Amino acid sequence: MCLFLAKVGFYMTEQIDKALAREYEAGFVSDVESETFEPGLDESVIQRISEMKGEPEWMLEWRLSAFREWLKMEEPDWALVDYPKIDFQAISYYSAPKSMKDKPKSLDEVDPELLRTYEKLGIPLIEQQMLAGIAVDAVFDSVSVVTTFRDKLEEAGVIFCPISEAIKKHPELVKKYIGSVVPKKDNYYAALNCAVFTDGSFVYIPKGTRCPMELSTYFRINEQNTGQFERTLIIADEGSHVSYLEGCTAPQRDENQLHAAVVELVAMDNAEIKYSTVQNWYPGDENGKGGIYNFVTKRGICHTSAKISWTQVETGSAVTWKYPSCILKGDNSVGEFYSVALTRGRQQADTGTKMIHIGKNTKSTIIAKGISAGKSNGSYRGLVRMNPGADGARNFTQCDSLLIGDQCGAHTFPYVESRNPSAIIEHEATTSKVSDEQMFLCRQRGLDPEKAVSMIVNGFCKEVFKELPMEFAVEAGKLLEISLEGSVG
Amino acid sequence: MSNTKSLLTIEDLYASVEEKQILKGLSLDIKPGEVHAIMGPNGAGKSTLGYVLSGRDGYAVDDGSVTLNGEDLFEMETEERARAGLFLAFQYPVEIPGVSNLEFLKASVDAQREARGEDAITSADFLKEAKAACKQVNLPISFLKRGVNEGFSGGEKKRNELMQMLLLKPQLCILDETDSGLDIDALQVVAEGVNSQRSADRSFIVVTHYQRLLDYIKPDFVHVLSDGKIVKSGDASLAHELEAQGYAWLQKEPAEDELEG
Amino acid sequence: MSEWLESAITRAQDVNDWLAPKRANAVELLSNTNWPTRKTEAWRYTPLRSVERSNAKVITDVIGLSPVEVTGLSAIELVFVNGKYDASQLSKILPEGLSISLGQDLEGVQKAEALDVFSTIKPERHLFGLVNDALAQDVIVISVTEGVEITQPIRISSLLSQGAESHTRVQVSLAEGSRLTVIEDVQASGDTLNTAFVEYDIAKKAHLEHYRFALQTGSNVAIGGSHFNLRDHASMHSTIVAFGSDLSRLDTDIIHAGEFADAKLNAMYLLDGKELFDLHATVEHAMPNGTTEENVRCIVADHARAVFNGRIHIHRDAQKTLAELNNRNLLMSNTAEINTKPELEIYADDVRCAHGATVAQIDKQALYYLQTRGVSRSKAQVMLNFGFINELIDLMPNAALAEWIRPVIRERFAQMEVN
Repeated sequence: MCLFLAKVGFYMTEQIDKALAREYEAGFVSDVESETFEPGLDESVIQRISEMKGEPEWMLEWRLSAFREWLKMEEPDWALVDYPKIDFQAISYYSAPKSMKDKPKSLDEVDPELLRTYEKLGIPLIEQQMLAGIAVDAVFDSVSVVTTFRDKLEEAGVIFCPISEAIKKHPELVKKYIGSVVPKKDNYYAALNCAVFTDGSFVYIPKGTRCPMELSTYFRINEQNTGQFERTLIIADEGSHVSYLEGCTAPQRDENQLHAAVVELVAMDNAEIKYSTVQNWYPGDENGKGGIYNFVTKRGICHTSAKISWTQVETGSAVTWKYPSCILKGDNSVGEFYSVALTRGRQQADTGTKMIHIGKNTKSTIIAKGISAGKSNGSYRGLVRMNPGADGARNFTQCDSLLIGDQCGAHTFPYVESRNPSAIIEHEATTSKVSDEQMFLCRQRGLDPEKAVSMIVNGFCKEVFKELPMEFAVEAGKLLEISLEGSVG
Repeated sequence: MSNTKSLLTIEDLYASVEEKQILKGLSLDIKPGEVHAIMGPNGAGKSTLGYVLSGRDGYAVDDGSVTLNGEDLFEMETEERARAGLFLAFQYPVEIPGVSNLEFLKASVDAQREARGEDAITSADFLKEAKAACKQVNLPISFLKRGVNEGFSGGEKKRNELMQMLLLKPQLCILDETDSGLDIDALQVVAEGVNSQRSADRSFIVVTHYQRLLDYIKPDFVHVLSDGKIVKSGDASLAHELEAQGYAWLQKEPAEDELEG
Repeated sequence: MSEWLESAITRAQDVNDWLAPKRANAVELLSNTNWPTRKTEAWRYTPLRSVERSNAKVITDVIGLSPVEVTGLSAIELVFVNGKYDASQLSKILPEGLSISLGQDLEGVQKAEALDVFSTIKPERHLFGLVNDALAQDVIVISVTEGVEITQPIRISSLLSQGAESHTRVQVSLAEGSRLTVIEDVQASGDTLNTAFVEYDIAKKAHLEHYRFALQTGSNVAIGGSHFNLRDHASMHSTIVAFGSDLSRLDTDIIHAGEFADAKLNAMYLLDGKELFDLHATVEHAMPNGTTEENVRCIVADHARAVFNGRIHIHRDAQKTLAELNNRNLLMSNTAEINTKPELEIYADDVRCAHGATVAQIDKQALYYLQTRGVSRSKAQVMLNFGFINELIDLMPNAALAEWIRPVIRERFAQMEVN
């Protein structure tokens, strides 16, 4: 997974810093001729999206009913984020490279400019050049460009394809599970996504199968004024196992762009899903101009003895609103959430998780590390709920915040609800800074201040990084290092 | 006394912490290979000297000069002084959770080698050296994997400081009350470690309150620091004298402050 | 808007007294306030149905009620009966340096000052605080002069008879270097509705020892607030002991408005039956070098519900703050509920802040241990529960109060066991 991140750079925190020179290296625009809808949203736009995708009638109906619900809903305002009101009529809801219109049959038919884009981002899509062991679905604006290693996966019975394709080829699975974990009217952005989602990944792991390679999706927003509304659905059938990775970048633009995704995970009895994210959308410039609004709903359901583990490293986006959650429905099921959220410049992140304990002896672990620098604000918002039937359930939560500089904020909003006397919940939160003593020790041993800070911050995040796939963890560490450059004077 | 060039020259040094004068005209000259012990009562400014020399924030130099190998020390940042060969063994080493000892040491060694224009050491070679250093200071190898000083006992922290010294191979080592809080066995381990590093081009400043450590690390010179300056210098026998007399004879003039430990 | 609030606003418009400008302001704010629903964060877990359905009425008949006796406590008694101040129960001679007056009886500068301070410490966001501003029947003003230590505690009792509605208000100011102990208590029986708010201004180097008892149970609605403003080097030690009722809600605000202030707050609540108790404790560190330590412990049995919101807000300038909150909860039954939300909101980097919250059952090993020594399971439960709370009782500075409250709590546990 090092490929995802190797070339990704950032703006740095602007506070005490003089040398703000580093660019967001993923900020380039690809010169691809696209077919893009006029901005605006009504039922006819949804009909056109559905048509473009060649969807069956039931899918269109589903979209329209979600749209009608959405119209009745209000944008949530409870998160500790502040951004101007979004004009949903000013967004284009579909954009795809023209070359993708006649579905390329193989990589040879894919527009070389598209392939170059991914190569530039460190994700060569040509199989010979790829890291063996990772299959990639590359989503460009509203369409999936290519999905690699499909044959190899098919041998194992694993389905890994764009969701637009799954709707046509595996309607029984999609119909059964889409919206089953995140209902259409779950929240404002989820409802919007249901109405207008364009592409995303679909994964099905058959009973008793261990997916032979890591699966990953790389999301790229390219076109101006478009929103990306991707939808991911992962179903791990009984006793199966899959590790899935997600990465994302966008060009550097002065306008804010909306990304409202929905991810649904279904872990059947004894199945295990490990979902890792490195979120590196364009964060905006040091004055808060531009950047992605990242409003994402991610949720998984665990049946008996199943396990879902969310790991996220959040470094991008101007505004993040994201709570990957687990519904621990089956007895003995396990939910985990490991998160590092770093904000700098004017970034705002409100992120956390929900662990809903329904089954007996369910267990959840939450480790959230927030690092705030510059003039940014980072919040952990979480819910742990023990339902009356959750006998013997356990939760452990640890939220730690690190502040770098005196212009930022770090906040913790944990909701703890228990209705079962045999359930045990433990929640701890601390906040600290990089201490002068630690800095002095590092510098006395010859480290420059920037290296010292990144080392201390990496140490602070260690518990989360160790949950990431190996190469990924190394890269996540480097990502932090780059992000922190210049945050000490 | 030899005529070789000085390693460290302190001339008439005045320094303060939070606007309180601690060092008041301290002078000291150290040549390569020499071991200087600095003794004195609490509040004399012993720890301050180590912090001022290594460039800790909050320690202001008001007057005087210090050169290391002829270079103006005060023109250098803390890390540049370290790379120039100055090492401070802390009296109270700080913990850095999550950062492993090994990672920390490798980064330090790499930074120092790079500054000297040397090639980076391979991880395998470094690990070998680090293991040997662990052994020498009597720390289990597992300490390399643990967070820097995280959950270490007082004695383990001190030995960890020594291990860092072994790996960084500095020219000037300042041991700030390295003996405090150590039992006699640990003290011997530390002393043996220091003695093994004594060489013609490496010098030591051993800051201590008690003569005990000097039974194991034989100093070439002993200085008595009182109220911010050196009031008496002599050879190793001075330490014994102090042990017998205590520091009471210094208190004739009332000490102004009790700030420093 | 609810009918109840509408009628409260209407009633407030009829009042015309020395507080008129403050009341008008509150009425204006209330008119623009939405009646809380489940989506209102401050009332997320505490429905206001029992306020809406309350039949309590302001009773103007004179009824003789007196506060419970506390052995060994020789307090200066300040009594409200159904919201009206009963001056006859106040000692005739007050200690030197202490003044207690009805706001309306103050004269000249003192009255102007009292009006100035009114409702400046209590934040505007408390809905029922505004109701109290608008409807407070009698307002008592207490002040201690500079450097004086009042050794005798002041006990403010709000007593309600069956079906009564009352709104009591007290403002307390401690001048520089003074010391005072204040006990707030409400005693009500049956279908009452009470709002009781007290504001404390604690000047430089002054110290307040504070107690608030909310031991009424049953079908009462009891809503109140204690709000503290701490200036440079001021300190406070507060103890809250609460049982629940139909609806019991308490808001505390501790504002570090000066440097080097120190606040300690220990709260414990024991809920049974269908009781609800909701504590919202906010600490605002607006200035540097402050310290706060909060311990909140709660035991919930039967169908009871406990709500706790503990917010610590460190402002940009409040460097070198040390703030800690520890919240421990014991859930005794399958039908009881605990909702707790410790919050940190931090805008200064050189601070040490932490909170911890746990929800658990009684330690099974300890229970087993006691049983092996021959103690019955139910008795052992009471003992362990009592121990859990007693740790905080032990921290009460006033021995007489601690001795008085211990058996009250013990009896409470025994009752909880029967249910």
